Order: sequence, then C-alpha cells, then structure tokens
Amino acid sequence: MNNYHFGRGRARLAPYLLLLPGFLFYVVIMLGPAIATGAYSFTDASGIQGTTVNWIGLENYREFLFMGQASLDNYAALWRTLIFAFSVTSIQFTLGLILAMLVNQRLKGVNVFRTIFFMPVILGAVIQGLIWSLFLYPLGGPLASLLGVFGVRSEFLGGQPSEAIAWVIFVQIWANLGVTMMIFIAGLQTIPEDLYEGARMDGANAWQMFRNVTWPLLTPSVNTNLLLNIIGSLQAWQLFLVLLGYRNGTQVLGYLIFAQGFGQTSGSVTSAFRQGYAASASIVLFCLVLVIGLPVQYYLQRREKRVLG
Amino acid sequence: MSTATTTKAPELREQRQSLLRRIAWGRVGAYALLGFFAVIYLGPLLMLVNTSLKTMPDFMKSATALPTSLNFQNFVEAWTKANFLRYMTNTLLYTVAATSIYIVTAVFVAFPISRGYIKGAGWLLTLYVIALFLPVALIPQFQLILNLGLYNNPFGYVMLFLVNPIGVVILVNYIKTLPLELDEAAAMDGCGYFRFVTMIVFPLIQPAIATVAVLHAIGIWNELILPTIYLTNKDYYPITRGMIVFQGVYGSNWPTLAAAVLIMTLPMLILFLVLQRYIVSGLTAGAVKG
Repeated sequence: MNNYHFGRGRARLAPYLLLLPGFLFYVVIMLGPAIATGAYSFTDASGIQGTTVNWIGLENYREFLFMGQASLDNYAALWRTLIFAFSVTSIQFTLGLILAMLVNQRLKGVNVFRTIFFMPVILGAVIQGLIWSLFLYPLGGPLASLLGVFGVRSEFLGGQPSEAIAWVIFVQIWANLGVTMMIFIAGLQTIPEDLYEGARMDGANAWQMFRNVTWPLLTPSVNTNLLLNIIGSLQAWQLFLVLLGYRNGTQVLGYLIFAQGFGQTSGSVTSAFRQGYAASASIVLFCLVLVIGLPVQYYLQRREKRVLG
Repeated sequence: MSTATTTKAPELREQRQSLLRRIAWGRVGAYALLGFFAVIYLGPLLMLVNTSLKTMPDFMKSATALPTSLNFQNFVEAWTKANFLRYMTNTLLYTVAATSIYIVTAVFVAFPISRGYIKGAGWLLTLYVIALFLPVALIPQFQLILNLGLYNNPFGYVMLFLVNPIGVVILVNYIKTLPLELDEAAAMDGCGYFRFVTMIVFPLIQPAIATVAVLHAIGIWNELILPTIYLTNKDYYPITRGMIVFQGVYGSNWPTLAAAVLIMTLPMLILFLVLQRYIVSGLTAGAVKG
C-alpha cells in the first residue's frame, strides 16, 4: 500500500477510478446475476416483460424435487449429468495424459499431432456438433459403413437415449481433449530431464519412472485438469443442444435450465419461460458442483502439499 | 584397456541392438497410437470436405464415396442462401467491439490488483478466482437485460461479453513479472498513473494481452446460447445462430450444409494455425505453478 508512487491526495484515487468500469461489468453482468439466481429461485418470475414477480418461497424446490413425474424426470436428468460428468472426466483425463506423454517425446512430427488434437477446441460447439452429425450419418455415413462391414447397424445420435448420450460423451471428449493434453504437456515440460537420467541410472523401468518421477511432479497439472474437467463437464450441455436437440430422456441439468427458462419443453412438463423454476434448477446444479468440486479441491490440495512438500 | 573393450564388444553390440529394437518398437507403437487418434480427429473434417464437393444425388447413392466430379455449386448456394456475409459481419463486429472494451478495462483491473495499489487487492482477486464455481447466471442476467430494454439489441448483446474472470487472473499473474523499479522510475520522471499503464504497461504485457484477447474472442465467436436467448431479429444474428437456422432449413441436404459448415470453419482454422501459440498459452495459463 505504501509503495504507491504515482502521487497522493486526489491522484491516489486514479487506480480506483480506472478499475471501476471493469469491476462494475463483472459485478453487474456476472457476479451479481450469479448471486441473484438464489433469490430468483424463490419466485415465480416468468421472463415475459410486464408480468409481476411473486415470492413463492420454497415452492420451486418442492416442485423440482418432490412433485410426481416432473421431479422423477429431474432426478433422471441429475443422474444423467453425473454419468456424463464422470465418463467425460475420467476418459478425458486418462487419454489427455497418454496423448501428452506421446507427443512430449522426441519424435518426428509430434508438433503436427499436437496441432491436430488441439484443433477442435477452437471450432466451438456448433461446428463440432455438425461435423459429427455428418460423420455419424446413419444412412451410409463413414462410421455406419465401417460398422456395416461387421454387420452392425446403428442409429447413432438418433438411437436409444443411452446410445445417443454415449455419442455426446464421445464428441465432448473429442472436442476438449486438446486442452487437457496441453495442460499436461505444460506440466511435463517443467520436469527436469536429469531426474529421468538419474532414475535410468538406478535401473528404473518405464513404469517406475512414471510412478516415481512423472506422476508426483505432474501434480499441479493433475489438479488443474481434474478440477476443470469436473466443473466443466457438470455444466456442459451445448453439444446436447446441437447434436440431439430437445429429446425425451437425454437432457442434463444444464439443458433443463435452458429449456425451462427460455421456453422449450422439458421432461413431461410443457413450460414456457418458467424462470423462477429454472433458477432453482441452476441452484441445484450449483450445489452439485460444490458438493463434488469442493471435496475434490480439498483432497487435491492436501495431496499436493504431501507430494510436493 | 583396449583388450577389455574388444572382449566386451560383441556383448555390448548385442545389448545395444536389443535396446535399439526395443526403442524402435516403442516408436512404432507411439506412431500407431498417434495415427489412430489423428484419424479420429481428421476423419470428420475430411468427410466434411468430401461431402461439400458432392451433389445431392451423389450423396444419396453413397455418402462416403469420393465425388465423381468436383462440384462447387454447394458453396455458392450456401453462401447466397444462408445470408452468411451478414452473419459473419455481425460476429466480427461483436467480437472486435467486446474484446477491445474488455481488454482495456481488464488491464486497469488487473494492474492495481497485481501491484497491491488498491485496498483489498487480495479479496478482489479471490472474487475473480471463484467465478469458476459460480452458479449459472442466465436467468437474472436475462431479467436485467430485459429490464434495461436491451433485449434483442446488439449493444445489450455485446455488453454480455465484457466480462472474463480467467483473463483478469492471467493478466494479474503476468504483470507480477514486471519489475517494481519500473513504476518507481516512471513516477520519479513525473509520469502519471494513467499514462504509465497505457504507455508503459500495455506494451510490456502484450504477450499476455494477445493470449487473453484470443481466448476471449474465440468464446464470443463460438457462442451459441446467448444469441439464441437474446437475439430474435435475424439481422442481428451471429454466424453460430445463423448456422443453426440454416441447418433447420437445409438439415437433410448434407452437401449444401457441409459447404456452409466449411465456410464457417475455414476462417477459424486459419486463425488457429496463425495464433496457435497464444491460444495454447491462454488455455493452459495457471496450470503449472512457476
């Protein structure tokens, strides 16, 4: 505080005044609305201009969690969200680590492979989704033809909900694997080469080197990737929108919030702009993120202290 | 010495040969695995290009076969029917406007936080870090825009993109690498705060600015949900929304749709190859503690 060199008195206010616009944007557009979601979840706000907003207490939560078929649909969506997040996180984490170690070797052309695996990240959900809709074209598309050779027929995205979701998981991983890989590469490159030299001198095999050198020293990247993947996949739903659209038995919580709040049918209840209700669904998702994210974060930090000292 | 090496030579050679063989196999395995993944990553793109060059009857006959003759009609059709020029101009305007305003305001937030020039700098940084955990703000945000009369308004739409907490965190970390003596020396020469940040800090942190700007711009360029929620007038649609509408109309005509997707993909791919360094560093920033 005392080290401010650019004048006193009124001049001392300059950093505060200049910080204000950016900070206000953050508060008004993101932080404030995020907190206000809690308040809205206790109202019957509709999102149609001019209608009054009434305080209805816990009614939205009661309906979301305990009211007949609708709440059963919600539990199904919650369960789907968990399965989606678990599958995406575990597979993306593992494949990301494998790919990172592969392209971090001194092999010809690894940079090209890196670029290829990272490419989908910048394309965005619309292109990612449309590209795979074409590749999974059930009437003689590439994969359909390939499977046809083995006598397997599939509707892919148009098939059973469980199969459709499996394909969304696949595309989600395909799209974001590059980020996980790059974060692991950044971590791998901080590990000094002489540690491997030393281990090799001691006669360590490849697995022992991974177990005792790479894995512990990769802890910061492991933590970042796990946390980003868990939170990201719990909240992800754009690919569901592009690949499947609205379809019974395939929504995750994120999609449900959008569908309820902005006028698409969801579950067995037809709704239009039920924003208070959608806000309560947002809070349920938020709790899910906290209940899973915070213990993971706590455990990872403790592990990092233990491993890296 | 020389006798010792000669007696051991065959054994050594054998050892080295087996080692070579093992490395070679490891290499083959690595390339095989990389090649397998490359097919999964490039296959869909090749299919897209292939389909875009075919006529609809060709596609119906066999979706995977190579086109019998090169047919660029799909691109012409996609370009004229999809109103792409309009959508792309919109996207470009939104992206440039929001990114520029965001970057300038973000640097003025990040600099005093990083330097501790304001009270509660630590708390402020925490506010930006926790953004990752915040609940989905869609509903109150919508109510806010609605009540401000900015629904279906390009200015209201741009306003939504003036925030990016991760970007601020990246900038804060980068500014820490600038020596404090810089501030002292500049102040000694009578340089004011505003002039110092704009004339000295901005040029010095250009790599971080490039990273954050590219990261932010990609997010705006690819955004689909917000235009779906906030923009109802077709004249305001960004390319993503336009693409979804186009898909709704041409959904079964894959050759034309593929051409449209390709038109939308190409600028991104080119930009990606040019700016890859910044994109990667943006997405991996903070992953490894220095």
